[in-house]
Amino acid sequence: MYENFRRLLVIYRGARSPFVISQVFLVVSVLLNLAIVALNGTLVNEGVQQGNIQVVIGTAIWMIGLTLVQTVFALGNTFFAVLFAEGTANFLRTSTYRKVQMLSFGNLDRFRTSDLLVRLTSDINNVKLAVLYAVMLLFQAPFMIVAAVLMAIVLLPSMLWLMVVIMAIVSLVLVLLLRGVQQMFLDRQNALDGVNNVLQEALAGVRVVKAFVRERFEMERFASTTSTWFDAALRPAYRIALFVPSLQALVYIGTAALYYFGGQTVLAGTTNLGEIVVFSNVLSMVVVPMAMLAFIVPFLESGEASVGRVFEVLDEQPEIVEPEDAKPIDVSTLRGRIVFENAAFGYRDGTGEVAKLALQGISLTIEPGQTVGFLGATGSGKSTLVNLIPRFYDVVEGRVMIDGVDVRAIPRRQFDQIVGVALQEAVLFSGTVRGNVLFGRPDLDDDVMVAAAHAADAASFIERIPEQYDAPVARRGTNFSGGQRQRLSIARALAAHPPIVILDDSTSALDMATEARVQAAVEELLASSTKLYVAQRISTVLTADQIVLLDAGRQVAVGNHTELLENSPLYREIYESQLGKIEEQSL
Amino acid sequence: MSEQANTAVAKDPRRRRRAIDDDQTPLGATLRRLMEYIFYRRARFALVVTLLFASVLLSALLPYLMGRAIDIIGGGGEAAELTQVALSIAGAAVLYWVCAWQSNRNIQYVAQDALFRLRTELFDHIQSLSLNFYDRQPLGEIMSRATNDIDTIDSFFSRGLNQLLTSVTTIVVIVAVMFMLNGTLAIIALLTIPLMIGVALMMGRVAGPAFAQLQQNLADANGYMEETLAGNKTILAYGQQRRSGDALEDLSVGLRNTGAKALIASLSVSPLVGVAQNVQLALIALVGSIQAIEGVFGFGTVVTFITYSNQLQVPVQQLGQIYNTILQAAAGAARVFAVLDEQSTVRDAPDAKELTLNGGHVVFDNVDFSYVKGRKILRNNTFEALPGQKIGLCGPTGAGKSTIMNILTRYYDVDSGTVSIDGQNIAGLRQASLRQQIGAVLQEAFLFSDTVMNNLKYARAGATDAECIAAAQEANAHEFIMQLPHGYDTLLSERGANLSQGQRQMLTIARAMVANPKLLILDEATSNVDTRTEKLIQQGLQRLMAGKTSFVIAHRLSTIRDSQRILAIKDGVILEQGTHEELMANKGLYYDLYMTQFRVRPEAAI
Repeated sequence: MYENFRRLLVIYRGARSPFVISQVFLVVSVLLNLAIVALNGTLVNEGVQQGNIQVVIGTAIWMIGLTLVQTVFALGNTFFAVLFAEGTANFLRTSTYRKVQMLSFGNLDRFRTSDLLVRLTSDINNVKLAVLYAVMLLFQAPFMIVAAVLMAIVLLPSMLWLMVVIMAIVSLVLVLLLRGVQQMFLDRQNALDGVNNVLQEALAGVRVVKAFVRERFEMERFASTTSTWFDAALRPAYRIALFVPSLQALVYIGTAALYYFGGQTVLAGTTNLGEIVVFSNVLSMVVVPMAMLAFIVPFLESGEASVGRVFEVLDEQPEIVEPEDAKPIDVSTLRGRIVFENAAFGYRDGTGEVAKLALQGISLTIEPGQTVGFLGATGSGKSTLVNLIPRFYDVVEGRVMIDGVDVRAIPRRQFDQIVGVALQEAVLFSGTVRGNVLFGRPDLDDDVMVAAAHAADAASFIERIPEQYDAPVARRGTNFSGGQRQRLSIARALAAHPPIVILDDSTSALDMATEARVQAAVEELLASSTKLYVAQRISTVLTADQIVLLDAGRQVAVGNHTELLENSPLYREIYESQLGKIEEQSL
Repeated sequence: MSEQANTAVAKDPRRRRRAIDDDQTPLGATLRRLMEYIFYRRARFALVVTLLFASVLLSALLPYLMGRAIDIIGGGGEAAELTQVALSIAGAAVLYWVCAWQSNRNIQYVAQDALFRLRTELFDHIQSLSLNFYDRQPLGEIMSRATNDIDTIDSFFSRGLNQLLTSVTTIVVIVAVMFMLNGTLAIIALLTIPLMIGVALMMGRVAGPAFAQLQQNLADANGYMEETLAGNKTILAYGQQRRSGDALEDLSVGLRNTGAKALIASLSVSPLVGVAQNVQLALIALVGSIQAIEGVFGFGTVVTFITYSNQLQVPVQQLGQIYNTILQAAAGAARVFAVLDEQSTVRDAPDAKELTLNGGHVVFDNVDFSYVKGRKILRNNTFEALPGQKIGLCGPTGAGKSTIMNILTRYYDVDSGTVSIDGQNIAGLRQASLRQQIGAVLQEAFLFSDTVMNNLKYARAGATDAECIAAAQEANAHEFIMQLPHGYDTLLSERGANLSQGQRQMLTIARAMVANPKLLILDEATSNVDTRTEKLIQQGLQRLMAGKTSFVIAHRLSTIRDSQRILAIKDGVILEQGTHEELMANKGLYYDLYMTQFRVRPEAAI
């Protein structure tokens, strides 16, 4: 039972002391609570019934004193329990996040961002709640129940049966009330997700909605999902509405039974009033921990499932492992000659198997300082091919070499100095423009940054913002347009003047004039670096020294524009489809 | 949000207009307006209050009956009397159960019903607003108002309101009953209740800001993780894993600290109010016992008062929390109401007419337009499209091409000049009638997460399956649709992600065909498709445009070469108009744009 939790406790030794301390506080606090209840009996039997005012005053003072002490211990328990729970959450959050940072592209392809985010946020929150309730209540509740039953036995064994009956009925009612309630909450959450999906879609697609004049339709769709949610929300709410009144009514009825049956024994002289009064306190005392137990079980279960999901991430092994005999290479003398030798690659599925090759038979030689364009349809393997160079993925056959060294023999941490990449998706991070352009090398100075921004044609719009390079960048760069994000991400790739630059479809959102300017400036800034362009648009690669045309994972033609136009029918077809018939181009 | 909004405002002139007017309506007015949604179910709400009052009265009667029982037992009364009291307690308990349950249940109905109306009203209103609203407001901001802010109102309606009513009624009724039974003990209670409330509110004032801080930290940490996980490959490519791990650790430690503070503050309320209540209880026991010994009343009354004192604890304890819930709900409601108070900027005139299309003769006469006053986006735009002509629009990014089309469909109204279709000024036409007859294939191929068939039918209410299939065939989409797992019944995932971009484009073309408009706007996407798909798409577009007046916004000039008229636009001004040959001969903007495509290396040109 709760295997993942036990594993968590083994791994997480860091905060054992708050855990132990909280439990010590807990035990003392519960014992004091019982003492206070017992004092009620003294008050009645020895004080009121005997008419002894001294005892009454003395007992009352004791009760206040013990209450104060008990509160201190109860607060102590809360304090350390919270520290333990929050500490656990912090530990899981940082170690899981750091683990994700250590994974490779191949691992990241299998975990979706939203999935990882759920594990790092709501799953860890579930664990935190489960730990908190477990630490605060899991031992307290049974302890209180046992203590109450023991008190009942010592105090009034003749009425023990009533206690047992009440406990049995309360258990039955709890089971009946809570049965299926978790499912109801899940259904409600799903219904709410449904409502939010319609909302999200109607907002994101507002232009389509308005273009086809379907506002009315969307309103009806929203009203109908919202009424599904209305029903789904009411079901658990109606169930919960029963909870407190039912338990409260049971305590009242139990008390009535106690007075009826117990009262007769007092009238018969076999017990006294004080014992009845204390017993009635004990009776109501036993119901609360039972309800608590019933409430925390679902938390424990979802916490257990959540820890399991977090462990899945922690147990993931990076696909790319550091070579054991990795010898650092001298980056400053690197020339950037890239050779593919009969390289093949396939993405791994969940089981780590390569089902289908995404690239095969790739043999290329790229000389230092060359500009090379990679062209082909979506899915032809262009991006995959260039991703093999900085070892984002490992080949399954053949090899890729930089200046004659197999990339698998180069230490991983050196790649960010060797290769500057602007990935297909131009990702910016919140912070400043400066922080983004100098993302890989915060140590570089402003001249380098400005030169990179100029080459990427980003300086023109950056310098129009009042704060210039200190201008804030919103989360995921949403305050910049797609074209501006691409230009900033190109600037980031150029900033450190790496020997190899890869621009993976990084100019797709730019108009052709801007793209031409960027390419010319990159040539000038990084004349000696090897420059690789992955492109959809043929105009991006027209001027390259070499154009590599890919189709379905194979290289079908390599050469410059003139050669390919002559030799490759596919190249010619692409050219004409994008730029028009060659014979029409006479002016 | 403020930082993001500010930079957005700085960058995008369209957003420089005011954001949603978050006016400073007083708290009371906002709450009154919010409660109108509850009072909508007047009768039900009255029932709730009645049942609630009855259940509180019964829960005050029960300790009294228990005290009577104790007095009978302690005073050596009759067994018959005891039976009667015990039965009364059981009866009152059952009545209490019914009243409390039904009041809980009905208030849930009233609350969820109010939320239902608020949600749909907000959605309907957002749907009816002009595009101008969406330009000013980032999508996330609107979403946040429709989800997070509504959620805070949800917790007030479905929990806080019930707690507030119960707490206040319980405190008032119990204190009143105490006074009826015994003035001295009641005064003790009355003197200590402010202490308890004070403790509860004080802790509420600590917990409230702590939770607000926690929300802020949570939003920061989650935002950071969302951003870095989405950009994880970039972090990896630049070797920044350690730095991002350290940054998250800082955020996480902050989260732990504020989380602990908020939790401890809220979990301490109960023990601390408990101390105050226990002092009250001890004083009642002390004074009551002394009075019982003196024979003022039986010990049963002491037990009654002790139970009353216990009954006060939870209602008082909750006051701090209720206070925070109300404040949060009011803040959320203010943001929601600000959206509800937004007015559409483009409105139909009272005597707006239907568009009668007769060939599709479009005339822009000296049109000026600005999103923000004083910053003209379009200047002196004059052009004409004869029925059946294809008009190409080209120019650099931001030249105003899409704006011209937004004006033709009246998403925005012109500053000056007129736009007419077949002689009818569009300012006097119903927006719906205009848009129903102008088809648009937009740059972003947006599809709904619904079946292929329903996506096609989206274009026109009442379109039949046969019509949709015919349209799909025309648009060259039929073939790939039939290869999908369930053909036309295949469910498309969010934003059509399980289709390739080319397939999505073909579907949007088919959708436009279903609408069968007489006038067309094509905002061609920068296409990422292979040549075969490209051909199919172009063929579909040709069929769609056949015989219709159409406007094509081109990113690749080859698609508009054959236009009867090409408009070359820069900075909102139409610099050149004419056919491809005319504009090439002109050697102006169009010529430059055209030649850039065939750029040759400077050194190669030498």
